[in-house]
Amino acid sequence: MRAALYGFGSIVFKELLHIRRDPTTLIFALLVPMLQLILFGYAIDFDVRHIRTIVLDMDRSRESRDYIQSVINTQYLDVVAYATSPDQAAEAVRRNDERVALIIPPDFARRYGTDRPPTVQVLVDGSDSMVARPAEEAISRPAPPDSQSVEPRVNVLYNPQMRTQIYTIPGLVCVLLQLITVSLTSFSLVREREQGSLEQLMVSPVGRLGLILGKLVPYSVLAMFELVGILFLGRLIFDVHIAGSFLLLVALAVPFILAALSMGLFISTIAQNQAQAMQMTMLTTLPSILLSGYIAPRETLPAPLYLLSEIIPVTHFIQISRGIVVRGAGLMDLLPSVGWLLLLTVLLLAGATARFRKSIA
Amino acid sequence: MNAIELHALTKRFGTFTAVDALTFSVPSGTIFGFLGPNGSGKSTCIRMLCGLLEPTSGSATVVGHDIVKDAEGVKRSIGYMNQAFSLYRDLTVDENLTFFAGVYGLRGERLKQRKSAVIELVGIQPYLDRRAGQLSGGWKQRLALAAALIHEPDLIFLDEPTAGIDPVARRELWDLLFDLASAGKTLFVTTHYMDEAERCNEIAYIYLSKLMVHGTPNELKALPEVTPEGTHRIAVATTRPPNALTILKKEPFTLDATLVEAEIHLLLPVDTEEAEVLTALKRAGVEDATIRPIEPSLEDVFVTLTRRLAKR
Repeated sequence: MRAALYGFGSIVFKELLHIRRDPTTLIFALLVPMLQLILFGYAIDFDVRHIRTIVLDMDRSRESRDYIQSVINTQYLDVVAYATSPDQAAEAVRRNDERVALIIPPDFARRYGTDRPPTVQVLVDGSDSMVARPAEEAISRPAPPDSQSVEPRVNVLYNPQMRTQIYTIPGLVCVLLQLITVSLTSFSLVREREQGSLEQLMVSPVGRLGLILGKLVPYSVLAMFELVGILFLGRLIFDVHIAGSFLLLVALAVPFILAALSMGLFISTIAQNQAQAMQMTMLTTLPSILLSGYIAPRETLPAPLYLLSEIIPVTHFIQISRGIVVRGAGLMDLLPSVGWLLLLTVLLLAGATARFRKSIA
Repeated sequence: MNAIELHALTKRFGTFTAVDALTFSVPSGTIFGFLGPNGSGKSTCIRMLCGLLEPTSGSATVVGHDIVKDAEGVKRSIGYMNQAFSLYRDLTVDENLTFFAGVYGLRGERLKQRKSAVIELVGIQPYLDRRAGQLSGGWKQRLALAAALIHEPDLIFLDEPTAGIDPVARRELWDLLFDLASAGKTLFVTTHYMDEAERCNEIAYIYLSKLMVHGTPNELKALPEVTPEGTHRIAVATTRPPNALTILKKEPFTLDATLVEAEIHLLLPVDTEEAEVLTALKRAGVEDATIRPIEPSLEDVFVTLTRRLAKR
């Protein structure tokens, strides 16, 4: 036993010295769990309130205004826009601008309080069942004392059975894709630095952009195959069909994959070794899962975190993926998300290329 | 024609001057030894000459290209071989060569021709399909040399090319370097091995970021600072050299003493007779010593000059 334990104290002492010499690793190891705590604590709130709602009031009576107020008072729905036609209201939901459309008929006041209570048409975006359920409940049990006097007719668009897989799998596709792309690229440049081949490349006429784009392309192709594979499995095993265009989804995956790969490259220009690259990849993975709307709807995020979620590429690809898979959205509906992804790609690539110059010197 | 010319080339990192106003030139077709202790600024200087780092002040041309204005021209006309094996360990020998040929823009017939030329030159034919990481140290360095030569550069930087490889491989690598030099290539070599320094046509020695001396090995050995006026060098051979060294170091006449192979090299005042040395040894029990006069070695040159500067 004594022989087996021999040297224990010296090893402990030496390890402490290692930890002291490499503060970056230590800081990351301690910081990541704290960040996790904060993110989980703030970001994950399954009690969804303040769901964005568009209202079309065709009656414009005191009764209809009271009714709208009573719906607002439930705190589940926030009226953020007014429509001028039923088509416009439905369009807003399809484009994911608003989650719920409330359409009040012209005869609302006339039939209010009679034995033929007015029917209010409610369109709920079912692509996110965590939003759709509370929205449905809020409408079905409104607060006014004479609640029997209004008959809501709830129409859940796009995922009428509110199957969880229909909304989780398009998000999961994005998160998985981001995981593999960021980790693949974040290691590649660091590995070149560690084995010294980066220096050999830098004395050759290889351009910085040539090197960085040359590294991006093969991994992009790999990631595309992964995407198609996951979608195929999702259909085969979980019966998740793509409501919109499969080709559009694949095409719009390109800006996302580029953004994710650029993020990986950016990490690899900061990380000094593969262990640090791994920790930094972890650091990006957590917000990508928690803030992107994958687990809990982004509506529940406090304002600063909501802003932060905008600069996470996967946030926008989840919008695209759920849009196409669940709601059958077209290119025009998804342009804002595509714009965000392109912007993030350019910023990250510029950052990586600029940092790269410093990192070799 | 000079392959490299440096004019007051300087690099500062903050307040630290890593390379301090280096001025010298490297004639084409020579093996040029770039020597100096670790941390003396050799690597920083090479990185500037390869176009990796911009100088703080001063200038330099490499094969006629200005290192600042035409860094791309520099990169195209030089080969670079690092002390640590820095090719891709998971690629085969053949794949590594193809990759680096492509990086330098070689295509088609030209690529084939250059590849077979460097493969034949370093003799790596039998290992073409082996992963680079599985080669022995000597073969790794040959592969690195082949990759550095793939685009037919006129000038090759070799940063401690023989560090950590066995003596036979070291000798063979140097034979390759002689072949290259006789074919008209310029070789800019850093090394810590004095026997390798002896093989260079010219040597520059860097100490504390500054150029200490520059010249042929014989010129350096003849420098008055190395054998100051009124002194001379002798070699003392005995059967127990370490004992003799300890004894001689205590003698008042010894200006410098060091062990080289089985002999003690001594720097003495001219008026110290050989008999005095032999008497001192006998007194301490070393009976079999013999003495012969010698010229300073390159090691003597660098040790003496470095100590002189360090004392100041």
